[in-house]
Amino acid sequence: MASDTLTFPTRAQVEAVSGLEPQWLRDRRLEALEESAALALPMSKTTRFADAAFVQAGAAPSAPEVQAADVPAGVILMDLREALGEHPDLLQPHLLTVLERKNLLHAQHAALTAGGIFCYVPKDMELTGPLRATLNFTGDAYYAPHVLFLAGPRSRCDLIVELVGEDGTSPAINGAVEVVAEEGAQVRYIEFQRLPGKAQGHWPRRATVGRNASLTWILNDIGARLQVADTRTDLIGDGAESRVLATFFGGRRQHFDFRHVAVHVGQHTASDTQARGVLQGRARAVYNANTVIRPHAIGTSGWQHEHTLMLSETARADLVPELEIDEWDVKAGHAASAGPVDPMQLYFMMARGIPEVEARRLIVYGFLSSLLDSIPLAEVRERIAQLFHEKVEV
Amino acid sequence: MARPTLEIRELRVGIDGREIVKGLDLTVRGGEVHAIMGPNGTGKSTLASALMGHPTYEVLGGTATLDGENLLEMGVDERARAGLFLAMQYPAEISGVSTANFLRTAVNARRGESDPMPVLKFHRQLKEKMERLSIDPAFAERYVNEGFSGGEKKRNEILQMSILQPRIAILDEIDSGLDIDAVKIVAQGVNDMLSEDFGVLIITHYQRILNYIRPTNVHVMMQGRIVRSGGPELAEQLEARGYEWLREELGIEEPLSQEA
Repeated sequence: MASDTLTFPTRAQVEAVSGLEPQWLRDRRLEALEESAALALPMSKTTRFADAAFVQAGAAPSAPEVQAADVPAGVILMDLREALGEHPDLLQPHLLTVLERKNLLHAQHAALTAGGIFCYVPKDMELTGPLRATLNFTGDAYYAPHVLFLAGPRSRCDLIVELVGEDGTSPAINGAVEVVAEEGAQVRYIEFQRLPGKAQGHWPRRATVGRNASLTWILNDIGARLQVADTRTDLIGDGAESRVLATFFGGRRQHFDFRHVAVHVGQHTASDTQARGVLQGRARAVYNANTVIRPHAIGTSGWQHEHTLMLSETARADLVPELEIDEWDVKAGHAASAGPVDPMQLYFMMARGIPEVEARRLIVYGFLSSLLDSIPLAEVRERIAQLFHEKVEV
Repeated sequence: MARPTLEIRELRVGIDGREIVKGLDLTVRGGEVHAIMGPNGTGKSTLASALMGHPTYEVLGGTATLDGENLLEMGVDERARAGLFLAMQYPAEISGVSTANFLRTAVNARRGESDPMPVLKFHRQLKEKMERLSIDPAFAERYVNEGFSGGEKKRNEILQMSILQPRIAILDEIDSGLDIDAVKIVAQGVNDMLSEDFGVLIITHYQRILNYIRPTNVHVMMQGRIVRSGGPELAEQLEARGYEWLREELGIEEPLSQEA
């Protein structure tokens, strides 16, 4: 590890970022800073963390521009910095508490976080349309933004977050997302990662799901040179459910390192992870998925399906599905695959008169469609399809 | 257009350097129903796959033409558009592509870009054919063959044939794994199409399906060649006596278990 990462950040940097914010947040930052001395970078055989820009950056963080659409009365959607001034009581119980501090990047994020999105939906509120916000990374800076999404008891809401930047810039991002779905809430967090081609991002997402609540992650990654995103959902309450519907399209020399973990703590909890990616050029995707079933989490079910289609011989995918089960009364399983277009599918379609190029297109788009068909929001489905057509050359 | 003609001369086909079909002659014309019977591993399915252009099989010699055009020089899709159809033993599953979308793409590929079939007309036709083959109309929107039972896949093959209206169809063990009711439905799908403009080559182990599709010609294939040809009575004879007598008569020594 380079020596500058060991001394980054300094106490002075943390205090400068903290500024005039509430004391409790300053305390959390300083606590994270203290812990960081004993923490290391994530261990990885597939991703070179030591070289990543989001580690090496030693500068004070910039805050991304936040654009938030208008929201119904009672709902809050705004820049997290403003929210700290206007609604500190809402943020205090949750901000930086859902994200654990297991490695240096988590601690650096907590110590330095600057800007981002705060979204709050009060109890019993049922929204008909999605909430929308964009994080715009405008330059070659270091960023440590945070997204905090609180869905009150029995609320129903969808939040669409877009991560974008200027073409040609190379932002280095060490961010985090925290979602809290309280008892009975029905929540969908939708994210489009369209960062510029030279961006590097570390983007953990964490959620706790309460009793009889459900959280669906709908994630689409097409941007960044390096994007490390691990999503962990803790199904705390009995009857809690989570779903991941993830798609990624990689090209050139993009490197994606994704991980999805569902932790079943409550009884009769259910998780389902479905991911489909298409890689071309020299793109590489590492895909870990883990279902953890804690003792006494009886009646749970956890499923994982990860499939990657490789359109070039130089694309590469590593799939690592795992299960950790400490309870007998459960149903869990996984299926994973990575490979080129199946020549037997191609043969079959061509044997019906469909030319090869068209057959290949149908198969590749079909590969994606079978996941899109599970996405409940037409607008999101169409958007992902459009991004696919723009990016993937079949 | 004239009656279709599939003409195979001295065809030799191999896989992994091993010759399976060893010089085969056969002519199938419109209005004719040919059955190729024979024990396992004699090259029947290899013949069917090679005619369609399956990438695993290598044509080592001989010719195959459809209406005088050289099939062996065409790509798989070109053979299909020329009017050849193969009902496959193990058709692929295509995730995310609905049966209706797949079939409409196939129909339009044959008709050409300037003359696509109107969507409503296509769906009306599909619905009619599905009813005729006792296929649940909901299958039109299901992904191609995904989660289909063996019998459903076979019926789906016949559905594709009846929609695509080929000139020559090869049915590769279309009857295997089907119960008698399903065999009757499949047979009806074939019989509905019989005319001067359509010829069929049925590849089968068993005589059973030939009770429902009356063949005009029956051939026995052994060791990569047609060793005997006759009329429907040959199939009945094989059903009654098995293949052993013929093997003895022809002086062929071949274990039944040899797979191709």
